[in-house]
Amino acid sequence: MHNINIWLESNTFHHSQFWDLLRLIRKKEELGLTISLCIPTLNEEKTIGKEVVLFKSELQDRYPLLDEIVVIDSGSTDRTLEVASAFGADVYSSADILPEQGFKRGKGENLWKAIYQLKGDIIVYVDADISNIHPRFVYGLVAPLIYRPEVQYVKSFYDRPLALSKEIRASGGGRVTEILVRPLFSLFFPELTAIIQPLSGEYAVRRKILEEIPFPIGYGVETSHLIDVYTQYGLEAFAQTDLDRRVHRHQEIRDLGKMAFGILQTFIKRLNANGMVVDLPQLTMNLRQFQVRESQYEQIIHEIVEEERPPMQQIAAYQEKFSHL
Amino acid sequence: MDGALKTVRQLARMPGLATELEPYREMLLANVVMVGEIPAPTFGEEERIRFIKQRFTECGLQSCSSDEVGNGMGILPGARGDKTILVSAHADTPFAAGENHTFTIEPGIIRGPGVADNSMGLAVLATLPTVLEGLGIKLQSDLLLLAPTRSLEQGDQQGIRFFLSNSTIPITTGIVVEGCPLGRLHYRSMASLGGMISCIVDRKVCHLSAIEVLNSLISQLGQIDLCPQTNTDLVLGSVRGGATYKLPARTAHLRFQLRSDADDKVNAINRQILSMLDDAAKQKGISAYLEVIARTRSGGLEASHPLVNTARKIMRTLGVQPKASIYSSTISPYLEQDIPAVCLGVSNGDNLNYADEYIEIEPMLTGLAQVIGLLLCIDGGDCA
Repeated sequence: MHNINIWLESNTFHHSQFWDLLRLIRKKEELGLTISLCIPTLNEEKTIGKEVVLFKSELQDRYPLLDEIVVIDSGSTDRTLEVASAFGADVYSSADILPEQGFKRGKGENLWKAIYQLKGDIIVYVDADISNIHPRFVYGLVAPLIYRPEVQYVKSFYDRPLALSKEIRASGGGRVTEILVRPLFSLFFPELTAIIQPLSGEYAVRRKILEEIPFPIGYGVETSHLIDVYTQYGLEAFAQTDLDRRVHRHQEIRDLGKMAFGILQTFIKRLNANGMVVDLPQLTMNLRQFQVRESQYEQIIHEIVEEERPPMQQIAAYQEKFSHL
Repeated sequence: MDGALKTVRQLARMPGLATELEPYREMLLANVVMVGEIPAPTFGEEERIRFIKQRFTECGLQSCSSDEVGNGMGILPGARGDKTILVSAHADTPFAAGENHTFTIEPGIIRGPGVADNSMGLAVLATLPTVLEGLGIKLQSDLLLLAPTRSLEQGDQQGIRFFLSNSTIPITTGIVVEGCPLGRLHYRSMASLGGMISCIVDRKVCHLSAIEVLNSLISQLGQIDLCPQTNTDLVLGSVRGGATYKLPARTAHLRFQLRSDADDKVNAINRQILSMLDDAAKQKGISAYLEVIARTRSGGLEASHPLVNTARKIMRTLGVQPKASIYSSTISPYLEQDIPAVCLGVSNGDNLNYADEYIEIEPMLTGLAQVIGLLLCIDGGDCA
């Protein structure tokens, strides 16, 4: 795994390396790049206001790094859209973007439709549920793309996981990462284990990459991106940035089970496509979980189908809108 | 143009100023959040001061620096620079570094520990240079922006006291900015003594509980003649003592504040308290002593002082009703150096010093407008 060590050395950053925003903006202007921020939402009224205020004030008004801040919503029933709009974000309902393609509920759907709706050469995705939001969540991710033309895709990671402290998680990943994704990567794509938090929801990507990869609409979107970009461009296309601490909602173990099921489907599909497994039987899409009610065990069946959107460059409306590129 | 005429012209600008500030709303909010999410317990303000100085540097202020007690400062040079106006907002909070400092922006309010006391005040400092530049305001006087450390409780305003005692820059006038409430117009300081009485019992020679000793002292404090003519008051703020319900307490502590219009009265009561403690400590196995936490002097500006009058006019022009209270301990360090100063609040808020502290978003531009209005009037020369 010599390549992993070289890559970790050269392509792993800390956000503090990019503190000089004036220099970053000068480089961005010199390259003629445009950068869009996409915040996918579903009922995020408690955190979206602060997120929009901070990014608009710090990364548009004070340091013009972002050319647009866009919220793409999956159908919130709270005041998410009203709050985001009041603080200056462009707000869209996912269902209203490419309506001829229909609407599917899921974060991946929002991310996919963002490629059509947003205009930037680089799109940076930041989740809306981050309590300790800070401009570093954006500039830490876009900076490697601005300074290093060969880098295509920048992932975030948190909590300084490489530090040797008892107070810090040993490997940096969340529960699903450590008990599912990292073991799978270790078996099938060992180099991808170098990505410390493969499921982190914050990443910045060049448009030319985003438009050529498919998008699972649900839990598998991050995993599929890593595999698809890796198989085509190799580990060298990636970089990762330590963004320090991220405070967000804690998920229940049952919800993590659903997430793991969706990721596994995405993973197996790619193993199949790459000829890494053969003769798989027809797989069920049902996740079975159990609960106890008055000493009786009840089976709960969740049908989780990881549908995928095709690469955006195959969509006629996209080809028309971005024909100049 | 004489000062009075300039002031009339500045006042005429006031009603529309809050609207002119609307484009800076997000910047002010962002500064509230960014400064407030950096923990800054009293005596541990370094990281927050570093951020403030970075903001000052970004705004192009000169002499962005810290002094020996960690105060953060920067200077916006004026066209003439023959006078210096000081605008200050204390940097510390009563919240420990390990507490959750996450802020939330909800429709109409910002919530988080220390948001009103005093992240909003600091955000005004951090935003002011950009706003002045954006509005095309070039002051004649130098504007010194200062974030003093060590203000609260045991800090006893050490930061601002140190600065005012040691600064080589003569300060003409001071504006102290606090997060809330809007309508605050403090220009006098009461004499005050904040202290902690500690009772310690040596259990080998005395069977009394320290709480009983403290209780006896509290009863004696209640007998002190507080002299209503001097508005003297004794506030018993907090008590703490013992380790378990099963054993007599070995230690007990009372924190209190004594305040009055008259320095002499505070000094006289202070002597009475020391005498009580001496008597208590004559009992075998008991020690009782007073530790002074904070002191302020009585005095300040008269209600008719031009600075106070002008501040009142600006507030009324902006539709803000000045509050009745005129006293704040924040004025004391200024009066100790004979510097005229007022303390203003930026917005409305509540739950101060609790984790769910909040401040209202809507009034804050009016609060910022009053600070700018007063700056303009002081700069025009009609507040001396």
